Amino acid sequence: MNQQISTTIYNDITDAVRKEAARILGDGTVTAVVGYTSTRRTGLTQPLVITDAKEADKLLFSETCVNNLAVYLTKAKKEIPKTGRIAIMVKGCDLKALVGLIGEAQLKREELYLIGLPCNGVLKSTTIPGTVLTVETIAPKCCECDVQTPVGCDFLPPCKPEQPELKAVYSAEIARLEAMSPRERWDYWQEQFSKCIKCYACRQVCPFCFCEQCLCDRNKPQMVETTPRPAGNFAWHIVRAMHLAGRCAGCAECERVCPMDIPLNLLNRKMAKELKELYDYEAGLEVNEKGPLASFNDKDDQSFIK
Amino acid sequence: MSRIGVFVCHCGENISRTVDVEQVAAKAALIPGVAYATDYKYMCSDPGQGLLKKAITEQKLSHIVVAACSPRMHELTFRKAVASAGLNPFLCEMANIREHCSWVHEDRTEATTKAIEIVTMMVERVKKNRTLDTITVPVTKRALVIGGGIAGIQAALDIADAGHQVVLVEREPSIGGHMAQLSETFPTLDCSQCIMTPKMVDVANHPNITMHTYSEIEQVDGYIGNFQVTVRKKARSVDEDKCTGCGICIEKCPIRKIPNSFDCNLGMRPAIYVPFPQAVPNTPVIDRENCTMFKTGKCGLCQKVCGPGAVDYQQQDQLVVEDVGAIVVATGFDLYNISEKPKGSPIKGYGEFGHGKIPDVIDGMTFERLASASGPTGGKILRPSDGKEPKQVVFIQCVGSRAREKGISYCSKICCMYTAKHTMLYKHKVHDGQAYVFFMDARVPGKSYDEFWRRAIEEEEAVYIRGMVSRLYQKGDKVVVMGSDIAVGVQAEIEADLVVLATAVQPRSGADRLAQKLGISYDNYQFYSEAHAKLRPVECATAGIYLAGACQGPKDIPDSVSQASAAAAKVMTLFAKDRLEREPIVAKINEAGCVGCFYCKKVCAYGAVEEKEIRDRQGNLIKIIAHINPGICAGCGTCQATCPSKSVELNGYTDEQIVAMIEAL
Amino acid sequence: MTANIENSFEPKIMAFVCTWCTYAGADLAGTSRMQYPANVRVLKFPCTGRIDPVFILKAFQQGADGVLISGCHPGDCHYIAGNFHARRRFAVFRKLLEFVGVDLNRLQFSWVSAAEGGKWVEVVTELTERIREMGPMTEFKELALTEQWSGMLESPELQEAYKQI
Repeated sequence: MNQQISTTIYNDITDAVRKEAARILGDGTVTAVVGYTSTRRTGLTQPLVITDAKEADKLLFSETCVNNLAVYLTKAKKEIPKTGRIAIMVKGCDLKALVGLIGEAQLKREELYLIGLPCNGVLKSTTIPGTVLTVETIAPKCCECDVQTPVGCDFLPPCKPEQPELKAVYSAEIARLEAMSPRERWDYWQEQFSKCIKCYACRQVCPFCFCEQCLCDRNKPQMVETTPRPAGNFAWHIVRAMHLAGRCAGCAECERVCPMDIPLNLLNRKMAKELKELYDYEAGLEVNEKGPLASFNDKDDQSFIK
Repeated sequence: MSRIGVFVCHCGENISRTVDVEQVAAKAALIPGVAYATDYKYMCSDPGQGLLKKAITEQKLSHIVVAACSPRMHELTFRKAVASAGLNPFLCEMANIREHCSWVHEDRTEATTKAIEIVTMMVERVKKNRTLDTITVPVTKRALVIGGGIAGIQAALDIADAGHQVVLVEREPSIGGHMAQLSETFPTLDCSQCIMTPKMVDVANHPNITMHTYSEIEQVDGYIGNFQVTVRKKARSVDEDKCTGCGICIEKCPIRKIPNSFDCNLGMRPAIYVPFPQAVPNTPVIDRENCTMFKTGKCGLCQKVCGPGAVDYQQQDQLVVEDVGAIVVATGFDLYNISEKPKGSPIKGYGEFGHGKIPDVIDGMTFERLASASGPTGGKILRPSDGKEPKQVVFIQCVGSRAREKGISYCSKICCMYTAKHTMLYKHKVHDGQAYVFFMDARVPGKSYDEFWRRAIEEEEAVYIRGMVSRLYQKGDKVVVMGSDIAVGVQAEIEADLVVLATAVQPRSGADRLAQKLGISYDNYQFYSEAHAKLRPVECATAGIYLAGACQGPKDIPDSVSQASAAAAKVMTLFAKDRLEREPIVAKINEAGCVGCFYCKKVCAYGAVEEKEIRDRQGNLIKIIAHINPGICAGCGTCQATCPSKSVELNGYTDEQIVAMIEAL
Repeated sequence: MTANIENSFEPKIMAFVCTWCTYAGADLAGTSRMQYPANVRVLKFPCTGRIDPVFILKAFQQGADGVLISGCHPGDCHYIAGNFHARRRFAVFRKLLEFVGVDLNRLQFSWVSAAEGGKWVEVVTELTERIREMGPMTEFKELALTEQWSGMLESPELQEAYKQI
């Protein structure tokens, strides 16, 4: 049954956001607003940075707003936060990434103006532009969302998000893989990783891959092979999953942008699950002084240590 | 291109019996980059080292691998030899083919193959070694002592007598700590004030000691040899320089009924007061919370009667920054407070002992104040409830201590002795009184301690009952103590006039906050942690900070004084040099790669990571990145393993060196 | 490794140990002349906190059949807390390795103090024998050889090309 999911609140949110953006740009509260706008292709949206209140009407929010705009405040876009206080449109998942970045001294909360977006979900990446949002076409990450209404924002349109019962796709897939034998899992991941062409799109789109020089680009020593052979791909993805453990917000952008359809977020969700089980930790809910891998407890599990 | 020299040691027969050393040398010579390989019977001997030095010069060697015993044995030896031949010592590595090879394997083929692989591994590693030079940091030869109890006083005097400047910071208005509250001290029963006051006066008069009393530590910055400590001198409302200590203000103060914490709230004091008559400095303090002038703006009597005009109601707290090179922490202890259930503390109260509700149930320090000639009762043992002399006093040992279920599992060390002392003091003052002691063990190991304890029983007629007390309750004007006498096997019930509890020794309140400011570790009871329980008992893991006295663990006076002198000795060792030398195995940030996530700072147990601004030529801020202080870094490398971009490198254990070893196998 | 006449498999074990505890414990095993299999190669680190999970990957890629990581008991770390960080890091990493199909029986962690020469011998022997039973770690070796530019060296295209030379 392909139940449709309501997207009427998105219009209300768009109106509210436009008004707010015009206001805060007009009175100088912020120097720029990072948000979504329409593209040349129908049924898709793209990121946008506006600095003038008159441009506020370009902003919109809909089920096609898949981008995590947090990347527009770091990495290649570092000059944007330097101009002053920046407003940014954030869904719950994007906000988790921002919270993580604040905890890692990449952004300061007082230099951000958070425009929260109550969200019923976004489309998954493999849909044709113009697709309607249904339980089949919704992004897998939205099926397990617990932050439909972002918390702690400076402005939140008073709309109530609603979702029908959704099957938890990632949890089911993780359970399916965990039930396999090690050899079966190895074969599954070899099949997936051998598709990788080392385009590094996953790294480029990830808000937490903000290292100035990535470990895999170093050659003294070369820790991770750069060739797109299975050995090199395996090492790359394992290292990235490990570096994201305890930080990944689950925005699933990596999976969306992967041109070879590798289930990257599956790895990250598995790590998040383990961190929850081992250390009762969930990334992105509050600004942490130290993440789970930068802190410790006398009673940490050591059943695997002789 | 490297010209590596490989020297394979026979170690007499220790290695050569199982490992074919000539073959190892021969194979080593074939490794690309090895310019010279040889074997020798005893590399660590004088001729062996001579061979090494000669080869460096003649063969123009750039790196050295000595395949011999464990580096924990002779790495220093060979590095010194290499340095004397003009080569940087950190370009010399050892391959362990004795403890890890020849001594643990019997098969000659297997052992030789393994030895060759180990040597190959170390050759590949040493190719990535870089020259490292010893780090030196300057040392400010001034010491800070936190806490003016007997331990702090002793440490301050020792360091000052050695000719160094000392700053002594004490939280209370006077130095002296708990020892000033005691009446007589074990095992000699000499008067505590009499032995202590000369030392207190010495501190006050010592040209090298600056005292900041009624002061607390606000902030600590810096590192060993170079601390900047901000001290908050709280407002006494009296100018220390003008006050002559005449005491008229104290006499005239109209508010006279404030419980005096020095007298365990049995005695009263005025709003302007000195905590005890022999206070050092003898400058009064105004308790602003209870002073009419500060509460209502009316009175001002003390200011009117003060001749030198020392009373100053406008006085504010003052912040003073002291530059010091070493810090001695001597903050002491407090007794477990039976009158209140600590909020949020894992330590539970003793409801069955009256929880402070029964007035004639007191703790050991309160008994000291009763016994003290300058105490609230003038040295008479009197019941707090009605002021009558108690004829039956019950002492209960181990209240709180050794009780895992209450949250304190350690022994408080001093109570067996002071309870025995209390029974003697009581007997000396109340000749017809009877002291009973409920105890579990007699822990009296010190010099003359056991004899002292036996004296309490044999000469002073204290009755010691081995057993625990289950309950106390008020019955009329008596306190009924219900306990067991396990030697005889009966329940013992005593109707006591006064009950004294030997409560557990705990660190002072706020110990954790001070530790966090200093960057030192503490255990789950908040006692400060020493660097090594047996071999480094007076140092902290944090370099430059030392421990003295009961803040490190329950301690009596002789041990506190010993530890204070030991800490002072450590400080003097530090001050004996103008510059402090450190091994260069420290981490270093790659400033181009660092993006300022500060994960390194989060995991550094030593607080060696600081913030550094990177600016362009116009002065604009580009980024704020991490910077590792080579004076503090201990060289564990946790930062490097945690850094996602590997922008921090541990000199001596870089990723290049380690990967070279892995790839060599 | 040794070319055994019987052609039986000799496991290749890499051990990453900390200087202050396990390396000293291994030294003690040496001074006590305790005997154990010669398959282990020890890499010295200042602290288990220095050990990056990538090193484990590298070790397997380099042909190790088993990897041992050993350090000071919790609370005894010479650098105060390095082993606590390592404990968490490796608890998480092994879950990741398990999820992608690496057999965790090949990866062993232990706390061996400087006084536990016997425990070192026990840990190394047990791991070596277990890996001997399991056989060589073929997964990473296969991975390294997969998809070399034209796949097989014996493919029909190559055979054809050789014929033309």
